[in-house]
Amino acid sequence: MKPVLGIAGYVLREAMSRKFILAFMVGITLVLTVVALSLRIEVVDGALAASRLFGEEIRSSIRSVDVALRPVYQAAAFLVFYGGILFGIVACSDFAPSLMSPGRIEHLLALPIQRWHLLAGTFLGVMVLALGGTLYGTTGLVLIFGVKAGYWTAGPLIAGLLACVGFAAVYAVMLTAATLVRSAALCAASGFVFLVGGIIAGYRQQMTPFFEEGFGREAFRAVTLVLPRLSALAVAAGDIAASTPLEVRSLGLLLLGVLVFGFGALAVGFWRFEGKDY
Amino acid sequence: MTSQEPAIEVRGLRKTYHRAFRKGGNEALRGMDLTVPEGSAFGLIGPNGAGKTTFIKSILGIVQPTEGSIRVLGGSPEDPRIRARIGYLPERLHLPGTWTAPAFLATVTRLKGLPVDPAGNLRLLERVGLSDAVGRRIGGYSKGMRQRLGLAAALVGTPSLLVLDEPTDGIDPMGRMEVRRILQDEVQRGTTLFLNSHLLAETERVCDRVAILAGGRVVREGRLEDLARGGVRWLVRFAPGANTEALVTAGFVRGVAEGQYVVEAEDPAALNGALDRARAAGALMVELRRDGTDLESVLMGTVEAAA
Repeated sequence: MKPVLGIAGYVLREAMSRKFILAFMVGITLVLTVVALSLRIEVVDGALAASRLFGEEIRSSIRSVDVALRPVYQAAAFLVFYGGILFGIVACSDFAPSLMSPGRIEHLLALPIQRWHLLAGTFLGVMVLALGGTLYGTTGLVLIFGVKAGYWTAGPLIAGLLACVGFAAVYAVMLTAATLVRSAALCAASGFVFLVGGIIAGYRQQMTPFFEEGFGREAFRAVTLVLPRLSALAVAAGDIAASTPLEVRSLGLLLLGVLVFGFGALAVGFWRFEGKDY
Repeated sequence: MTSQEPAIEVRGLRKTYHRAFRKGGNEALRGMDLTVPEGSAFGLIGPNGAGKTTFIKSILGIVQPTEGSIRVLGGSPEDPRIRARIGYLPERLHLPGTWTAPAFLATVTRLKGLPVDPAGNLRLLERVGLSDAVGRRIGGYSKGMRQRLGLAAALVGTPSLLVLDEPTDGIDPMGRMEVRRILQDEVQRGTTLFLNSHLLAETERVCDRVAILAGGRVVREGRLEDLARGGVRWLVRFAPGANTEALVTAGFVRGVAEGQYVVEAEDPAALNGALDRARAAGALMVELRRDGTDLESVLMGTVEAAA
């Protein structure tokens, strides 16, 4: 396990030196600071009596705090899910291709580590990065609203974790793509295509009637059947963040499907990497 | 590992690179046999495309051979315990530009499964002449400084086998001398040195054994002095005014340059006999050297013969 942690540390150190990622962390901090300083919430007997943003009163009817904060947390969950995955695709697209670049991969492969350690370490490093960023943002949000409104919930944190699970499947595809072709652009493209495919797969039941009966419809069904339903996971994350009943029938099965797909994609990548010459 | 066991032993090594949707493939190594004795300083030379880098990658497990057997330090290069005893400097080492040299060495130390030793790493950096650049980011290093850092990384953990691909590439002449001294120290310590360098003079100065690789095969291998032995031909230069006819009679053949002659002598007695005859004819010798004694001549002759 030590070499995997060593490679993960290598990836994290590389990540911390990227201005793009540092700017993103600074951006999250700024947004949270601005919200914390500009938002004023008055709560009376557990109900939201008034709220002001930048000194302007936000007109709304008097509702209990948890109900009033539902749309905020739901929107935040969707933003973290889709925004986080999109940012992750762009920011992490060149980690694996960079580790596999000529002059670096030879040096790493000559060290006393197994090949799979390299891929597993890269995956772990990126996941730690994603998890750290997500928890930083969502914890900040929960703290701000918890302190200001006195309403504490772990919903946004769980929603953030679901976003990380979705990103894990996307990054597994990207990592596997990097073992096939060492290109950051192709790596990002594969992640983006997979994300779009995952969104479509979540709405496959609603979209199927749009296809003519016959080969087209069956092909659509077959392709979307193997893809994890990322949009369904996003909806579930929104529901959990807002503390509303889940729309999806079984979150466990949904998560299992995403994880099985992710591990499957990683297995292909590991197999390809084991037999590749550099 | 017993003391008799070679550091590297390769038998019938073949490597063919296949490309998708293409028939056949590119044969980089065509049945290569090579033995590198333990504790030797071994140089691998050959023209571009001879298969030198493929061979180095094969003995490190970076490239998987199509056929043949490889034993390194008495085991398989696939075994991490074996690779832990190897220090490797690739031809174009890509270093993380935003890191500092101590941070890079600490990571290499950790990945080699060794306890991090900041003081030891600083000593290594001092040894390769980078003590003044310890606080600087690697991105600001010159090519020579990067190469020195790569050498320091290869030396982490005092390896039993050093595999260096163009170690002095980009290093200035003074730096080359320092690197050469470090490599000689390592060999004296008992480390086996395997060197691939296009600088033949460098190989000649550092290595005691050399293999010439051409067309994916070892075409010549042995001790440097045996390979570089020019045979029976000697080049002699006489001062202007020497009697050509008398010299030809004494067994000398006129060379291409002014005053230069070639003489064939099986042993020192025959050589001195010929020189005595020349001196008796009034010729004054100003230069004497064995014909074809440098590695370049050996390489050229061997590769041309193999072609």
